[in-house]
Amino acid sequence: MDIFAGLATVLSDPILLGWVFLAAVVGMIVGAIPGLTASAAIAMLLPLTFYMEPLPALAFLYVIGKSGRYGGSIAAILFNTPGTAASAATQIDGYPLARQGKAGKAMKTATLSSVIGDFTGEILLILGVAWIAALALKLGPPELFAVFFAAFIVIGSVIGKSVTRGLASAALGVLVNMIGLDPISSTERFTFGSFDLTNGISLVPLMIGIFVLGEVFAQIEARGTKTALVPDGDDAARNSLSWSEYKPCLPHVIRSSFIGAFIGMLPGLGSAIAAFVAYGEGKRRATNSSDWGKGALEGVAAPEAANNAVSGPSMAPLLTLGIPGSTIGAILIGVFLIHGIQIGPTLFLTSRDLIYALFACGLIGILMYGLIGYYGAALVGRFITRIPTQVLYPIIFLTSFVAAYTSRGNLFDVYVMVTAGFAGWAMRKLDFNPAAFVISFVLAGGAEETFRQALLLSDNGMMIFVTRPIALLFLVIGIAALVLRVRGRRRQARDHALEDA
Amino acid sequence: MTPGGSPAPRAVGIALILLGVGAAATSMGISLDQYGRWGARVFPLAGSLSLIAVGAAELWGARKAAPLDHRHVPAIFALLLVSFVYVWTLSAFGYLISTALAAPVVLWIFGVRHPMGLGAAAVLCPLAYHAIFFELLGVFPPLGRWFDLLDVLGGY
Repeated sequence: MDIFAGLATVLSDPILLGWVFLAAVVGMIVGAIPGLTASAAIAMLLPLTFYMEPLPALAFLYVIGKSGRYGGSIAAILFNTPGTAASAATQIDGYPLARQGKAGKAMKTATLSSVIGDFTGEILLILGVAWIAALALKLGPPELFAVFFAAFIVIGSVIGKSVTRGLASAALGVLVNMIGLDPISSTERFTFGSFDLTNGISLVPLMIGIFVLGEVFAQIEARGTKTALVPDGDDAARNSLSWSEYKPCLPHVIRSSFIGAFIGMLPGLGSAIAAFVAYGEGKRRATNSSDWGKGALEGVAAPEAANNAVSGPSMAPLLTLGIPGSTIGAILIGVFLIHGIQIGPTLFLTSRDLIYALFACGLIGILMYGLIGYYGAALVGRFITRIPTQVLYPIIFLTSFVAAYTSRGNLFDVYVMVTAGFAGWAMRKLDFNPAAFVISFVLAGGAEETFRQALLLSDNGMMIFVTRPIALLFLVIGIAALVLRVRGRRRQARDHALEDA
Repeated sequence: MTPGGSPAPRAVGIALILLGVGAAATSMGISLDQYGRWGARVFPLAGSLSLIAVGAAELWGARKAAPLDHRHVPAIFALLLVSFVYVWTLSAFGYLISTALAAPVVLWIFGVRHPMGLGAAAVLCPLAYHAIFFELLGVFPPLGRWFDLLDVLGGY
């Protein structure tokens, strides 16, 4: 019932509704620009939200994340370039539809499916999150450390092309978090005598560097390439979407929504994996599977529902355990911290109204980007082709500097941002995993705290993690995820070698 | 451990091991707590040893390397240099002058050659960012140690 109070709070506040609307528009545009992601937009806009009230700040960034995931489908359909990694699966059928002159139909399908998927995920979050938080309250430090451990392994090994480089990214994230004073004994760690380093590395400039400046560096390699719009034609019959056309998509949308919601709850997997799993499962079950890949509406509906259904449930580990399920979650941690809100299981005791109002903003945001997208996605596509990238990225470059400075009014943070930007570009270039790096950076503090608390509780040292069944279960989950992933990659490598031979 | 092979596996493996060894040595230099326990050392050491382990795995699994495209590396290093010089000039000459210099340089790196455009960026960018962040949001701007245009204009 808290959600109805949340909805009433949001609907009675026109300024808050204005922020949600702005976020829906900004997210859609940013998501639709190839190369720019919702994470980048959120990281760049994060310092601006320091000057806002907690609810508008969180709602603004949360809805940008949702709308940005959807916006990626516009670029995938119209430009044959996924605006986000999550929309790469949409491109498989979306672009052939656009080439047949059915871009409008494909975008309407993507919009409806995204809205249904996102609503499903958000409703599941609203129904289940308090229950998960109540369970999380029963976990002690050994169990929490085991959850962190499993998250490190899953985030490091499951996402990205290379298992070793993903794990290395996670280890680097942990090491960078260790810079500064030890939170318990105030011993200096990795400071090398630098006063600036004793304060540690701040999350905000690190994220602006990795996600925003890193992308600017990457865009240098794309200089001169023009984004070409597929002519959508003016044939209204080809671009309108009838109920009989959308009806076969519905079973795929419903199944994919649940696939996305389930994957969203698992830290680190994210919407790209959800979209491809849903696409694969949809194609396997489809009666017209031979049409998939050549312009089937179901092939657009399934991945779009899944990648948007991730959004809500990915907040569950963040809000209940303080474990960000995605890069957007990692950035939102910054907003919670800046506004003095302690995330974790007690959040539902201390800030229950705020959290349900945030969920209400999410629901309203979905409705807003759905309406804007259904009637205006083609317009957004045309607008994006008119944005000159040789001007856009220098503006983003300058904004990232001022945003990094704004977070603490400190030029050292700007140096951190530049270093992180270059590192972010190098990581992408060398198949490291920037998302695993950032999420591990965020997790490391909590993991260390629970590890040391667990050892203080223990009479048998490290054995406490093995003798407590829930802790052991999560340790086994982490190790099993790694083993399965390594075996999967080996099998793929062997198949690849056989193909080459 | 990647099917298609990632770029430079040997170099990356060696770099990870060296980084891990360096971090492990530094971790061992972290002071023990008052009871002589390793508390503050454990996580830095675990991170360092993990790096060594994955570096070794990278070397062990190194097979076919994916090619790296080096064509844009000079431009990327140019932008990196501009970035560091820009931060340094922020501390020396304040926000307005630094941004007036950085904006056209970055536009030029991204392929803008029109003199009017570059000139307009040199004027409009510092003004727009100053107005939004330092006037509207009330953030205290980075003041130049050597010279700051705001001293002349009387902005702060």
